[in-house]
Amino acid sequence: MIRSAPSSIVFRAGQVRRISSAAGKDHGRLPHSNSPIVSKLKFFNAVSGDGNTIPTYRVLDGVGKPLEGAELPEIDRALARKVYEHMQLLPTLDTVLYNVQRQGKISFYVSLHGEEATIIGSAAALELDDEVLGQYRETGVLLWRGYGLDNVMAQCFGNEEDTASKGKQMPVHLSSPKYHFHTISSPLATQIPQAAGVAYALRRIPSRRSRSIAACYFGEGAASEGDFHAGLLMASTIPSPALFIARNNGFAISTPSSEQFYGDGIASRGPGYGIHTIRVDGNDVLAVMSAVKEARKRCLEEGRAVLIEAMTYRVGHHSTSDDSFAYRARAEVEDWKKIDNPITRFRLFLESQGWWDAQAEEELKDRLKADVMKAFKRAESLPKPELKELFTDVYGGEEPWNLKEQRAELQGLLRKYGNEWEPWKAEIGRFRNKARDLID
Amino acid sequence: MNTYQAVRDAMSIALMKDDTAVVFGEDVAFGGVFRCTMGLAEEFGRERVFNTPLTEQGIAGFGIGMALMGHTAIAEIQFSDYIFPAFDQIVNEAAKVRYRSGGSYNVGGLTIRTPTMSVGHGGLYHSQSPEAFFMGAAGLKVVIPRSPIQAKGLLLGAIRDPNPVIFLEPKILYRSAVEQVPIDDFSLPLGSAETLAPGNDCTLLTWGTPVYHCETALHLLASPPPSLEKHIPTSLRSASIELIDLRSILPWDVQTVEESVKRTGRLVIVHEAGMTAGAGAEISAEIQKRCFLKLNAPVSRVTGWDLPVGLQFEKFIIPDALRIVDALVKTLSY
Repeated sequence: MIRSAPSSIVFRAGQVRRISSAAGKDHGRLPHSNSPIVSKLKFFNAVSGDGNTIPTYRVLDGVGKPLEGAELPEIDRALARKVYEHMQLLPTLDTVLYNVQRQGKISFYVSLHGEEATIIGSAAALELDDEVLGQYRETGVLLWRGYGLDNVMAQCFGNEEDTASKGKQMPVHLSSPKYHFHTISSPLATQIPQAAGVAYALRRIPSRRSRSIAACYFGEGAASEGDFHAGLLMASTIPSPALFIARNNGFAISTPSSEQFYGDGIASRGPGYGIHTIRVDGNDVLAVMSAVKEARKRCLEEGRAVLIEAMTYRVGHHSTSDDSFAYRARAEVEDWKKIDNPITRFRLFLESQGWWDAQAEEELKDRLKADVMKAFKRAESLPKPELKELFTDVYGGEEPWNLKEQRAELQGLLRKYGNEWEPWKAEIGRFRNKARDLID
Repeated sequence: MNTYQAVRDAMSIALMKDDTAVVFGEDVAFGGVFRCTMGLAEEFGRERVFNTPLTEQGIAGFGIGMALMGHTAIAEIQFSDYIFPAFDQIVNEAAKVRYRSGGSYNVGGLTIRTPTMSVGHGGLYHSQSPEAFFMGAAGLKVVIPRSPIQAKGLLLGAIRDPNPVIFLEPKILYRSAVEQVPIDDFSLPLGSAETLAPGNDCTLLTWGTPVYHCETALHLLASPPPSLEKHIPTSLRSASIELIDLRSILPWDVQTVEESVKRTGRLVIVHEAGMTAGAGAEISAEIQKRCFLKLNAPVSRVTGWDLPVGLQFEKFIIPDALRIVDALVKTLSY
């Protein structure tokens, strides 16, 4: 069935590379370019045409008022409230998990604070079964899709209910085939060329061709990796409906973006790959929704990659292992939270529409806090997975001899020392069945 | 068929029987720089057999992406010397996807084919044998065939294995090794060595191109030419040597090797890669542990020196038949 698909879908000869016959009329032509020939020596250093930096698309101003001439995305009261509630959920989750980490109950956490509009706005504009490949600040996409707080907590605690990693990955490294959310890994940018492959596969599945895209998120720091170059190159050259969403939040841990690149952000790179590109105000949820919706449409219509650079600000620390006041002023962060807070901006818009008020706000905050605390308490009370899981899922099919033997060796050691060696003794008790599955 | 034709035949069968299978890499559309993909683009279309930009990390990442969707991705890295830009994608990503996602995702559909080992004039970057760099990457499989039949059967086995596989094709054998290859669909098992010649006095273990140097060495040992006669004691000429082709480097077939060494009491390991932390080191340590009381001589390793492959010096770098004979003589007379 797939074999009979016309190969022209993929490589439309001449679509991009057609050499203009007019270009070379007077001065000859180049073998692999339609570049016009000129006799004036002129260097350039901009992609916006007029030499200015690439503009930022915005719909709502800082107080939630639509900009003159701006077109609002299709949004009704119910959708707007859902978007707002999910935006509010992220800092609630952050606050609890950040503190939980500080108490030593989970090993690590990366906050999502400041990027609520980018994450929730894009999630709302994607279809629920678009394949998502994230970096690690995109838990909000899963929550939008209905993944549930219990599952997020289970992964962060690595307890017996952690189906995302069976206790194997650090917190916030989620996976969910059911919600089309690919496994998060710590190495930065590796997901970018993978997204090209996922998108290409989507084109080859008849039921998803022209219907599903791969949405790939990464930060502006990750975009310095070679895999960024590889991924955008692959997705543009081997036409693949991949939507690349760069979260430019100004910092890669302590490195400000001014030390990350010298050009015009990430957006300026898109045209170099022949990719439709837009820069959007990442603190304006409506602008993000519009941009992602339109980008998604283009991905599907043209079967090619699209790049969005969302300008935002990382309000929280990089992670729980980071104290960001070592490299930026506390006042700067506080100012930013006040001046340009994506949540406040959208709340003001909701209020102006008569869709929200102080009472709703209070009810929401109470409910979210209660929900998060309930999920946290439940997750905390559950044991870790069965200890034998540490040897599972290395290979599919038959398990190699070395793993069988090493499991048996650990089993022997546990039998011999499990009740005597303190570092193990305490730990064994935290696993389901007290590790009997491995010891017996 | 020669080896490149056998490789092509395997991919043709894979493409024919599996609609999700695709073949891609640098220059594969016109047939590949070693002709391994000849005619596949014409037969199956450019949607299924296509060129990529020149980016190894991109090729590996793209293949992982397709495999994440359950598709069969057969990627080519033009020379195994150039697989290192993809090392991160292979070791940190492909190898670990199943484990880190608790089995909810896997990239079992990914096979990375790449030409390997020396070719006589490849210099530093067309000669390497990187298998040991991948030997510690739990979650990967690493396979090296020695001949056309092996190449076809093992490649089909690799493509269908539920794990990501690095398939290293000894490039000097693409044209030089020719044999009758069954044209039907068949797979050979991964993780299993093959005993090519039975013996009782010493086990000679190798893989890939050196299989042929080992065969030559066995002839030299049994009937040395006049020039070598004085170096090979008459008493050793009738020695019975067990020759084993390991075929899979990860996981490797410890059972076959252990059983053999327990019988012969001696082991010589031959590989082209350098000695330090080469695959021979791993095998040697494990066999020493398992066969300690049965060993009558130290485990010997005949390998490339711990050097890059200097172009004009290749004959003195790779482990050829003479060096293997010398090691056999020393091991047998220890």
